[in-house]
Amino acid sequence: MLILLWNIFPVAASREADIIDEAFLILTILAIPIMALVVVIMGYSVLKFRRSEGDFEDAEYVTTHKTWVHSWLIWTTALCIAVIIFPGWIGLVDIRATQNDVADVTVDVTGQQWVWTYEYPDLDVSIISELVLPVDSLVRFNITARPDDVLHSFWIPAFRMKIDAVPGLITKMDVTTTEIGEFNHDQNFRVQCAELCGLNHAIMFTRVRVVEKDEFDAWVAEHSAS
Amino acid sequence: MLTALWPLIRAIIWSAIGGAIGYGFASGLVTFTDPPQNLEVQISLAYVGALLGWLFGIGVWKYWGREWFGLKPDHNEIKGASRFFSFSIDHKVIGVQYLVTMVILFLLAGALAMLLRVELANGSQNLMNAEQYNTAMSLHGIIMIAVAVATIMGGFSNFVLPLMIGADDVAFPRLNALSYWIVPPVAVLLILTPFFGGFDTGWTAYPPLSTAANGPDGTLLFAFAFLTFGLSSILGGMNFLVTIIAKRAPGMTWGRLPIFVWSVFAAAIISLTATQWVAYGLIMIILERTTGMMFFAPTAIDAAGVGLSGGSSILFEHVFWFYSHPAVYIMILPAFGLELEIISHFTRKPVFAYKWVVRAFFAIVFLSFLVWAHHLFTSGMGQNLHGPFMLVTELISIPTGIVFLAALGTMWRGRMWLRTPMLFALAMVFNFSIGGLTGIFLADVATDINLQDTYFVVAHFHYTIVGGEIFAIMAALYYWYPKITGRMYNETLGRIHWAGMFLFFNMTFLTMFIPGVEGMNRRVAVYPETFNDINFVVSIFAFLMGLSMIPFAYNMANSWIRGDVAGDNPWHASTLEWQTTSPPPEENFEHEPEVFEGPYNYGRKRAQASQRPARTPAPAEGD
Repeated sequence: MLILLWNIFPVAASREADIIDEAFLILTILAIPIMALVVVIMGYSVLKFRRSEGDFEDAEYVTTHKTWVHSWLIWTTALCIAVIIFPGWIGLVDIRATQNDVADVTVDVTGQQWVWTYEYPDLDVSIISELVLPVDSLVRFNITARPDDVLHSFWIPAFRMKIDAVPGLITKMDVTTTEIGEFNHDQNFRVQCAELCGLNHAIMFTRVRVVEKDEFDAWVAEHSAS
Repeated sequence: MLTALWPLIRAIIWSAIGGAIGYGFASGLVTFTDPPQNLEVQISLAYVGALLGWLFGIGVWKYWGREWFGLKPDHNEIKGASRFFSFSIDHKVIGVQYLVTMVILFLLAGALAMLLRVELANGSQNLMNAEQYNTAMSLHGIIMIAVAVATIMGGFSNFVLPLMIGADDVAFPRLNALSYWIVPPVAVLLILTPFFGGFDTGWTAYPPLSTAANGPDGTLLFAFAFLTFGLSSILGGMNFLVTIIAKRAPGMTWGRLPIFVWSVFAAAIISLTATQWVAYGLIMIILERTTGMMFFAPTAIDAAGVGLSGGSSILFEHVFWFYSHPAVYIMILPAFGLELEIISHFTRKPVFAYKWVVRAFFAIVFLSFLVWAHHLFTSGMGQNLHGPFMLVTELISIPTGIVFLAALGTMWRGRMWLRTPMLFALAMVFNFSIGGLTGIFLADVATDINLQDTYFVVAHFHYTIVGGEIFAIMAALYYWYPKITGRMYNETLGRIHWAGMFLFFNMTFLTMFIPGVEGMNRRVAVYPETFNDINFVVSIFAFLMGLSMIPFAYNMANSWIRGDVAGDNPWHASTLEWQTTSPPPEENFEHEPEVFEGPYNYGRKRAQASQRPARTPAPAEGD
């Protein structure tokens, strides 16, 4: 069952994707027994506590049960707090762990209806046709939308990371790449706009290619304006 | 027939006159400004004029206007079937008006969903173009939102709640009629949007997309429709609060209220207070579109070439969700009430932990106001807000858990009668478990960063609102059908409807989680071909779910005319609404009832059913 679930995830090509998939898995593992509890109690009741057509005799007069209510409250509260701490809070801290580190590559992303533009300010590259990134690197995206444009959302499914592109605001997103891959082999290597942005929202995506570092350097040399 | 429809025809004539006056006034007004690019100022004022004319013609003149001008009040109520087409102030008529309107809108928006699933059956553009898809998707969303808000809070609250508390009517009957007659213009506006270029923003209508100068005028119509609907919601919420406080029968103390009444009380607090926020947001959208006031768009250049500095679209997201998150509790709280109500009567056992359930309802109301920003985890709002909103959102699972405890505790060792209402109530417990548990994935910031705006979200909220609320509404429709119509629905058709809807609902939306996890985003007509197969499967299940609505619609319409006469209390239920005739007389009870016991005293030694012996008149059925 869990192996089945594990397989459902698309390729996890970043450090953040592993954290997010782990959180998803833990929440699923916790949810299954709770669901099972509801189904078992309900199923048992339906099978066991029936009456036939035309029988209107009452059941036993039970309005509440102190021990049951109190222990239910204690258990749900404990579970809730546990989930808030882990994977909740710990996952949050983990994902943000890189925010004070120096990035290996910085990419300035601008969304407009219905194109993404990528600029590598340190490398003097500007491109719209594809997003190319080196593997095993900390990539920092500075994301915005054109001031006179609408909201977009910058999402790369293979990295599991997403943040809105807001006109007049720069949002930041860190990704540590861990796997090589490209759109042509796996469609989750794509930048997909995830916030409804009008007519061509659905096709506002760019191919992503994560490559070895030396291949990346060669690509930069080829595309650099200087 | 013509005389029956005369009030409607008069109202339509008045709305045409009002619309013309508004249009003319606006045309004069715009000559004082730079020539506008479009007709939106005219459309706005024409709509305001038409709305006022409509309300004036349908009943405001008759019930209020004449008194303002010192004329003799005209309180002649229309009798017979035509009262359903008139400004009736009888809460039972208004309840039926709401229910019929909402069931029709539900089937209409459901048909739109079928169109969407045809389009989504594969990843390329086939049935619709991008603009038509966006319009159909947005319309499906907002119509279903209206159905989800108003079916219980307008329909069942109106018909059943005054009966349940032993009142002869609601506290403000005229206002009650007004809040219903505000709804038809909303439906008309929404149905007109495709003729004004459609609206492509989804029901969330985030600016700057919804305020873009080159956007379709349909978005303006949508904003007015939503705003008008909000007004109806606010009036309804206030009315039910006052009704529950002031109109309870002698002896109907707070501790003796049926649990459904408590749930409506809790939801009405949200209706009254939270709806005002989205109204402000929508008014700002309308002003930004029509007059260029800049509340949300960050920058623009005016006609003279001067750069203008404006606001932030994240502001709208906050304002919008400050209503729209509590709004899901306007939908689900009364659904919880219905679920527990029906489970109690059909197991002949009191609602388990009644007082804790009431406490849970109010805890949910309180928390519902503090969780809105979990919709904004990926919006670019301040990072410091993520942790607190995750915390408060997950806390809601504690009071919700109490409701589950109550449902399961009531069933346990009950004496269950598996008629259609009970089957739907049980299905609701099952579906909402999945809806609630998948909600935790979206409250958790880490998983939400990925899942936000994917099909996981779509599957999740359909589980809560369709699987939870709509199933509870179906349960309640079958449960109160004999009370409302005086006739019994067809049980076999009811069970066929239940089996089809339960099975195919779960197959559709359980499958829909998969493309969400696999990386398919929502609100798209075309998508990568990896998702072709799974979407084809979802579409097939969705059509089968759609087919299950045919026995439902047939059963509801046919049984009203040909069903067996139901009798006053076919379920032998204990609450007050079953202690009068079906359908109830004009004043609800022959004599004002007096209450000596709680609502669910099944199995208590003294009486067979609690609120029955105390009541006058004595039960008509000899049982």
